[in-house]
Amino acid sequence: MRTIARRLGLYLLTAWVAVTANFILPRLMPGNPVQTLIGKITSQVTPAEIRAIRLSFGMGFKEGIVAQYFTYLGQLFHGNLGVSITLGAPVSSILRESVPWTIGLIGVSTIVSFFVGTVAGAMLGWTRGSRFDSLIPTATFFQAIPYFFLGTVMLLIFGSDLHWFPVLGAYSQGATPGWNWSFIASVIRYGELPVISIILSSVAGWMLGMRNMMITMIGEDFVLMAVAKGLPRRKVIMHAARNAVLPSIANLSLAIGLVVSGALLVELVFNYPGVGDLLLQAVLNEDYPLIQGIFLVITFTVLAANLLADVVYLVLDPRTRSEAAV
Amino acid sequence: MRGLALPRSPKVILGLGILGFFIVMTVIGPWLAPYDPSSTAFPALLTPSSHHLLGTTSLGQDIFSQLLVGARATMVVALVAGLVATVLSMVVGVTAGYLGGVSDDGLTLLSNVFLAIPGVPLLIVIDSYLPVNSRSNEFVIGLIISLTGWAWGARVLRAQTLSLRNRDFVEAARIIGESRRRIMFSEIAPNLLPVLASSLLFTVLYSIGAYVTLAYIGLTSTATWNWGTMLYWAQANNAPLSNEWYWFIPPGICIALVGTGLALVNFGIDEFINPRLRAAGLTARQRRQLHLPRRARLGLTPVVSLAPAPNRRSTHAVVK
Amino acid sequence: MSATIPREVQSTAAEGGRASTGPVRDGAIRESVLEINHFSVDYGAGENMVRAVSDVTLRLERSRVLGIAGESGSGKSTLVYAMTRLLRSPGLISGGEVILHVTDEGGAVTPVNLVTATESELRRVRWSHVSIVLQSALSALNPVLRIGREFDEVLKTHRPNLTKAQRRARAEELLRMVGLSGDRLERFPHELSGGQRQRVMIAVALALDPELVVMDEPTTALDVVTQREIIGELSTLRAQFGFAMIFITHDLSLLVELADEIAVMYAGSIVERAGARELYESPRHPYTLGLLNSFPPLHGERRELTGIPGTPPDLADPPTGCSFAPRCAFAMERCVLEKPTLVEVDDTGRSVACWLFDDASGSRVPVELSRVAPRAEAPKGGS
Repeated sequence: MRTIARRLGLYLLTAWVAVTANFILPRLMPGNPVQTLIGKITSQVTPAEIRAIRLSFGMGFKEGIVAQYFTYLGQLFHGNLGVSITLGAPVSSILRESVPWTIGLIGVSTIVSFFVGTVAGAMLGWTRGSRFDSLIPTATFFQAIPYFFLGTVMLLIFGSDLHWFPVLGAYSQGATPGWNWSFIASVIRYGELPVISIILSSVAGWMLGMRNMMITMIGEDFVLMAVAKGLPRRKVIMHAARNAVLPSIANLSLAIGLVVSGALLVELVFNYPGVGDLLLQAVLNEDYPLIQGIFLVITFTVLAANLLADVVYLVLDPRTRSEAAV
Repeated sequence: MRGLALPRSPKVILGLGILGFFIVMTVIGPWLAPYDPSSTAFPALLTPSSHHLLGTTSLGQDIFSQLLVGARATMVVALVAGLVATVLSMVVGVTAGYLGGVSDDGLTLLSNVFLAIPGVPLLIVIDSYLPVNSRSNEFVIGLIISLTGWAWGARVLRAQTLSLRNRDFVEAARIIGESRRRIMFSEIAPNLLPVLASSLLFTVLYSIGAYVTLAYIGLTSTATWNWGTMLYWAQANNAPLSNEWYWFIPPGICIALVGTGLALVNFGIDEFINPRLRAAGLTARQRRQLHLPRRARLGLTPVVSLAPAPNRRSTHAVVK
Repeated sequence: MSATIPREVQSTAAEGGRASTGPVRDGAIRESVLEINHFSVDYGAGENMVRAVSDVTLRLERSRVLGIAGESGSGKSTLVYAMTRLLRSPGLISGGEVILHVTDEGGAVTPVNLVTATESELRRVRWSHVSIVLQSALSALNPVLRIGREFDEVLKTHRPNLTKAQRRARAEELLRMVGLSGDRLERFPHELSGGQRQRVMIAVALALDPELVVMDEPTTALDVVTQREIIGELSTLRAQFGFAMIFITHDLSLLVELADEIAVMYAGSIVERAGARELYESPRHPYTLGLLNSFPPLHGERRELTGIPGTPPDLADPPTGCSFAPRCAFAMERCVLEKPTLVEVDDTGRSVACWLFDDASGSRVPVELSRVAPRAEAPKGGS
């Protein structure tokens, strides 16, 4: 439990750093941040919009910077992320619409990609030296393609050209959102191509990492012992794989951030109504409250995913468990 | 001290070849470009021909020239960011690993925080606040990217320093009474070389991805040509859906190839660091000559008959 | 079973009738459990080839203990790993045969040549008939599995008829045999001490009642007290269950406590082979003498510890003559030119590969190497 408590502490600290960075960044710019922002917005600015900007930075009119900071934290604590300049709605309610789409899309594709990549990597490590080794350069190439580019190519080939998958959006126009079967089926159908393209972009990373760890583990004595015991091949592989997967899970914290960053852009390619698409709109419109709100939500979600990965690691590695018990 | 002798595997040679090609392109690309990449003097949306190897954009710009000119900005940002991040990670990681104690705890916490924050979203936030003239400056962008990309290297370098710190030769230097700084830079640093090289490759890879992403969503100056802005304009003009493949495929392939080159070279470094990843002993050709199976199998030591035994009287070997 | 060889052929193929039947100390020729004939092992091939084990012939009788001694790099571990086909790449078996006499449940004995055996044949033989204990139990036990799983998977694979409760009972019984309580089954390897882990490994090795247990320096990583305890337990267990044992170590004084016969290896070859007591009291090969002088005896008279000057030869470029000649205090001109072969030197069944004992050399055997061997005492352990 102590390990988890320590990790939780780290993530709370990280969350605080992100929140504080959000507060400081606008103030690092020369001049009054509100004025600067208003100056950046080319269209006419209404008083309501100015108020929205002020609120999102926690800026009253006569407060000192410390008081501003606490106002900002207070607002945040109550879930108030300010009001979007372009959409006019509270950032929190806008995010409530789009976050589930993102979590669904990226969550499903990350989990599938992790499992497929890990299993394939284990087999690749075990059969090292065989014909399957020729997969490695191909996998390396796929790993190096930017997510959004692969998404674009997939969209072009399988969506607009071959018409195998529906393109653009998260569900068909005809379906009424809600817990009805036709809507769910449509969501799955529309999700297929984005999910496949995220998996294709990310699977090679898991696979190559697992392969290397598997090869390292096969060099360990306990794997040789499993052979010496006359165990069936499947069980010998499991001995090695069970240990090889641990570093993969330990590296999840690094990887989740990268995968999420990449996958956000895939939403954009497919016009998926998630946070990534929203982020692009916000960036194009210089909608700072929205950009900041999205950044915080992404950060918090990634931190939560990290914590989940830590728990899984703890369950799988008894050594950290007893370390915590001591 | 050991240098960094990369194994001469086909993977590494291919990787170095790809990287060499793009480095040459970075240096001489802008001079080779047949036209001004921003010039709109040509008919729009020409398909590839001998005059315009990759056709033209919807504004009538020569895509091949954009690709050649864009190589420089892309590679420069990636290199600046990669180098700065590696120096940062070395300073933080080596110091933490070498000093230990409170400084280690503090620096480790710092890098863990930076590892946990998703880099690209943070980058987008920072970048969106930058004045437009800074956005077109490759060095500024490179520096900001390096700020979000150093933490992983610091963690790996710290672990390596920690294990080096307690080895004999470092101990010896300490007993002789060499200064800490000297030990750190002349005894430990050279032995960190392979890990350092690997972390440089990774940060360069990350930086290309980050820079291209920023450019693709329009957060670098759209007046600077790089492979990301090319994709931005292609996307903005619906090139993918209009089947104008010659507009958006080439920059994407270039990005992927540079990344592949970096990853392939990194295979070599991995094999250097972790001997178990090296192909053990027998070359594929020797295996064939000895009629051995293509791959070594655990728990099935192969048997050969070709090697002359000192006493062949009852050596009845079996070839499978 | 593939490539089985009639026993008569076996004994004539081996050099010298005596060598193949071993020292006849209790007057009876025992049944062998393992016969290694002209066995050679290489690392790599072509220009980079290194011969790690060269033309080794050994025989082990049922329920007896063969000690293999030598410095690190002498090829002793390579020999046993290759013999069980567990040697990793780039190891290659480049000649010879390894016959394991496998006794099935009905008591019928079948010889199996491990060198030509297929993967499934090997899998059948492994652990049921030959098991292994490694030097470091910590690395030999899967760090993320409970101790109980080590027993359970072995029993489940080779004794599919046992129920879960029976497997559990058997595991507890095995742990008790090595002096550990049954609740250790719930523990993870890192929660046990070094001695406990090694006891677990020994218990696992005995789980299927094998005819042969190979011990690769099982006590080297332990402190002297634990070392003594485990050696003592091994003697008791062997007397109780009658398995044969190959015990590898660089510590000759440890071997003499446990082994019936000792083979000393140097640079991939056996240089001396004799009854344990004879070898210990009256070494014949200069290298054996050097080894004996490198370790303090566990008990008994103290010897002056002198060690052996120099380092083992580079196996990639072995010397033409005797591989020990560069380090040998008694080396003659002939030693540098010609490689001595293992020949019997007295009527106790002792063999030595050294020109000093060759009459044609015309040399006098130095006094250190001509101590009178004690006459055979009652053999230890066994049947």
